[in-house]
Amino acid sequence: MSFEDARFPVPVREDLTTALRRSWADIGRPGTWWTGPERVAMAALARAERIQRNEPPWNRNRGEPGTPLPGKAVEAARKIGADPTHLDRDWAEAAIAELGDARYVELASVVVTTVAADAFCEAMGIKHETLPEPEAGEPTRERPDGMGDIGAWVPAQVVDWSRANVARALSLVPEGVRTFFRMVVAMYSGAATDFEKMVWDHRPLARPQVELLAARVSALNQCFY
Amino acid sequence: MLLRASSDAVGAEVDLSAAVEEAADGGVEDGAVLTAFAEAVVRATDELDAARVRALKTLGPAKFVEAAATIGIFNGLVRVADSTGIPSDAMMLERTADVRGKLGFDSWSGAKRRGWR
Repeated sequence: MSFEDARFPVPVREDLTTALRRSWADIGRPGTWWTGPERVAMAALARAERIQRNEPPWNRNRGEPGTPLPGKAVEAARKIGADPTHLDRDWAEAAIAELGDARYVELASVVVTTVAADAFCEAMGIKHETLPEPEAGEPTRERPDGMGDIGAWVPAQVVDWSRANVARALSLVPEGVRTFFRMVVAMYSGAATDFEKMVWDHRPLARPQVELLAARVSALNQCFY
Repeated sequence: MLLRASSDAVGAEVDLSAAVEEAADGGVEDGAVLTAFAEAVVRATDELDAARVRALKTLGPAKFVEAAATIGIFNGLVRVADSTGIPSDAMMLERTADVRGKLGFDSWSGAKRRGWR
């Protein structure tokens, strides 16, 4: 089992560890457009690159590729994982042209799930979780209906949407949304009814404390969103 | 911006510059401890062990876990926004119009991607 309670220096809420375990296991499963081994390879690349984030990209130790992924996917996993401030439309459009929009979005969903779990481990002072064993099987290759242009680099859900754009950014791959936003609910927002409240009683920290952390992390990543 | 809105809701005045200044408290309880913890994780600095110990000692175990979880998930959320190029929400832009330039948000790489400058 991943994220065992005994690994943490202090008790961690059960709903949080449950979400981490489920999302971590998802990484190893066949996805919508990528296989289990390909998804685990993305996670490994993103982690290895992010560990070296204080080094400039040309100075990082990347070893031998040894990956089932195409070159552009390797580049994308590394860049999204370690250098989010260097992402721009031209680069993304080139990556999407080569990989396909949905494959790019799924890759992003795997990388962000990995980074969030890794950063949590670093904050807690424990080693990164061992990557999941990849499972056999074929991707489902199901593209959802109701996607459109919202001004993003990738199509997103345009039907019946009234929430923040970030929540639909990965909607081209619903399984990726479930995997990552399960963790968002457990690690930040709580249920939708909790999130709407400006005074929180479902978390030990007061909401301004949580939002200060959120703002500082965003600022350090030069992300206004 | 939810930092401002949530502070307004409890009648507190928050200094939004804490989002962009090192180890600033912004008028938020234990704010300097929290921001120093976040900085040490994001930047993977040599201060991380000390910042973690300080956070645990100051906040206690339950709040410490929440802080670690928030830092973790926002490292993912910023990458969701930045890898997909989603536009900022209109309400967010409206509510922050008075501070974006002053605090330097408009010069960030994320602002450039969204055509703010």
